[in-house]
Amino acid sequence: MRLLLVEDEVEIQGFVKQSLIDAGWEVQAVDDATSALQEVTKQTFDGLIVDLGLPDLDGIDLLLRLRRSGISAPVLILSARRSVDERVKGLELGGDDYLTKPFAAVELVARMRSLLRRSSRGEESSHLRIDDLELDAVKRRATQNGHLLNLTPQEFLLLEYLCRNAGRVVTRSMLLAEVWGMQFQPDTNMVDVHVYRLRGKIDPEGAESRIKTLRGVGYVFQRK
Amino acid sequence: MSSRENSSILHSEAWGISLWATVVFAIGSMLVFLSMQNLVAKDIQRRSDTWLSGEVEVLGDVAGRTPKDRLYDKVVREVAELASREVPNHDRTSGDGSDAVFFLQLGEAGNDNLWVGTADKESAIQAIRTAHPRSDNPFDVKINGLATPFRVATVQTKDGSHIYLGLSERDELHVLRNLRLRFLALWLVIVLLGFAVVFYATWRMLRWVDGIAEAASHIGRSNLNRRVPVPKGRGEVSRLAKTLNQMLNHIEATVEQLHTITDSLAHDLRSPLTAIRGKMEAALIPSASVDPTERIVSAIDQLDRLSNFLDTTLDVSEAKADALRLALTKIDLAGLVRSIAEFFEPSFSERGCALQLRIMEPVYVSADAALLHRVLANLFDNEVKHLRPSCTVCVSVETADGMATVIVEDDGPGFDPDVAAHLFEGRVKNKNSRGHGLGLSFVHAVVRVHGGAVVAANRETGGIRIAVSLPRLPDGELVTSPAVALAAHRRH
Repeated sequence: MRLLLVEDEVEIQGFVKQSLIDAGWEVQAVDDATSALQEVTKQTFDGLIVDLGLPDLDGIDLLLRLRRSGISAPVLILSARRSVDERVKGLELGGDDYLTKPFAAVELVARMRSLLRRSSRGEESSHLRIDDLELDAVKRRATQNGHLLNLTPQEFLLLEYLCRNAGRVVTRSMLLAEVWGMQFQPDTNMVDVHVYRLRGKIDPEGAESRIKTLRGVGYVFQRK
Repeated sequence: MSSRENSSILHSEAWGISLWATVVFAIGSMLVFLSMQNLVAKDIQRRSDTWLSGEVEVLGDVAGRTPKDRLYDKVVREVAELASREVPNHDRTSGDGSDAVFFLQLGEAGNDNLWVGTADKESAIQAIRTAHPRSDNPFDVKINGLATPFRVATVQTKDGSHIYLGLSERDELHVLRNLRLRFLALWLVIVLLGFAVVFYATWRMLRWVDGIAEAASHIGRSNLNRRVPVPKGRGEVSRLAKTLNQMLNHIEATVEQLHTITDSLAHDLRSPLTAIRGKMEAALIPSASVDPTERIVSAIDQLDRLSNFLDTTLDVSEAKADALRLALTKIDLAGLVRSIAEFFEPSFSERGCALQLRIMEPVYVSADAALLHRVLANLFDNEVKHLRPSCTVCVSVETADGMATVIVEDDGPGFDPDVAAHLFEGRVKNKNSRGHGLGLSFVHAVVRVHGGAVVAANRETGGIRIAVSLPRLPDGELVTSPAVALAAHRRH
């Protein structure tokens, strides 16, 4: 998979590019909209990451031009502007997702991955199976070794999200937004409490938890 | 100061204004005077013409009746001299009037003439012959050697001779000249006085304007606390000054607010930035006691909170400036409170606290889903932060007077008395609090934008009570369930 990264700030371009390469993608990075428009005529990209604050052209305009020239690959917008209007505009004019600076590198990778998955496969499967866990997203039932787990609806959503991203790092803000719909950063350790409870329900007694905490970053659900 | 005043007088626009006003006034009054003078001159002439016609008639009659004997000359001369004493418009200073009148009788053939008058007889006859218009109306005659013309009336006697009676226009002209002189003197005085008055009035008014301009230039250059002078009264200039001062008050307040915000922002950023820097540095230095990862983790944690704080600060100031754009939808407040309570419940029980919900049926409000969500989450988060173990938090949704109210009560320690008065001002926090104390300020600002109100106080029985009211929507069919509201901004 090849991605195009349009970002003029060297520092950010550097670490974003590295994170994307580490995630296993091929990345072409450019500094401005003009080279981005040239680049898309030379090669095809599976996804784009566009910063809104470009030196030569507003990111929104770049987005419009890309869409007009028939490029349908998913676009992840990066922006330091945090207004709701800007976000809505970006998403209406052809952006597929929006990430406000500052962001965690793992979150960027996760969002990009989910965009690429959406564009290539469409619907997510309703059945998940990881080791001894089996999840039915439609009935909202989870079983372990055939035994029904007693989960609250929110615990089920959390487990489902972790399983779908098994083996990858998810941040607290991703969990807050995706599982509970919270656009809010609590001052308290809300997410940890929920994860702690879930661990108590799915982990065999005495064994090491499958939901690993990556301090300062988030969690990762490990396969056995 | 005086040199400035002088130059300001010299360059004052009052000169132009008063000059124009004076020129218009002078020309106007001059035209009025000229037409008046014309009227007066005509009147004087009319009166002398009437007199002349009357007298010449009488003289003609006398001449006709008097027999042409030796006494004829004498009688007619006598009558003519008598008549000259009743000259109209006579100016007593210029003699007895005998030089103002002449009498001439000319025979048909040009001879046989009788002359009564001081002027030269021959030149008078000459002048009358050239000027005689052969009409009954009096006419003007200019006699050689005399400065003033004569007004002459004529009548023909029965014997065919012509009798001419001349009246000098000297007195008439004298009266008119007097009139003109007096008027001009008076006119000059009035025009000069008018100019002075107009100039003074305009200059005084413009001096206020100039004062305002000077004060304003000072304000622009240096200090915002100066104000322009306000003249007494309710005139335009005073209104201008007042409006300007009001505007300056506004600007000063705004700038001050900006200063406060940047100052406190700098302060709020500096301490966490210092802490983060310190932690990073410490992570680089090998130490047996603390794992460097621990320090980096802590620094990242702090950075996250810092960026969250920035977002909330901007939201609060946007809400306070009414610049927050609301995407209003119909939301079931009760349902939303329930779903958020579910999210927070584990944290309460982890701390050994109980969370009670008293929510019955759906209550609809019109609100921005994402903002309302954050408002409610803030309330719960606040509780989790400040509660001691084994407290009970009670959350209920009530309706009264068209308002839907979320009430959060606890039996904890309550607000500190010195904090209680400034709860909504932002940056107020308990010493032990990890947050930035923006929570309630955010709640207040956002609820106010929605047309609601927030009341926070300590309960009499101990603990706090926060009531957030929003205008209630009447129950309808079109319902955005909290699940939909959540999903709506989950997509973002």
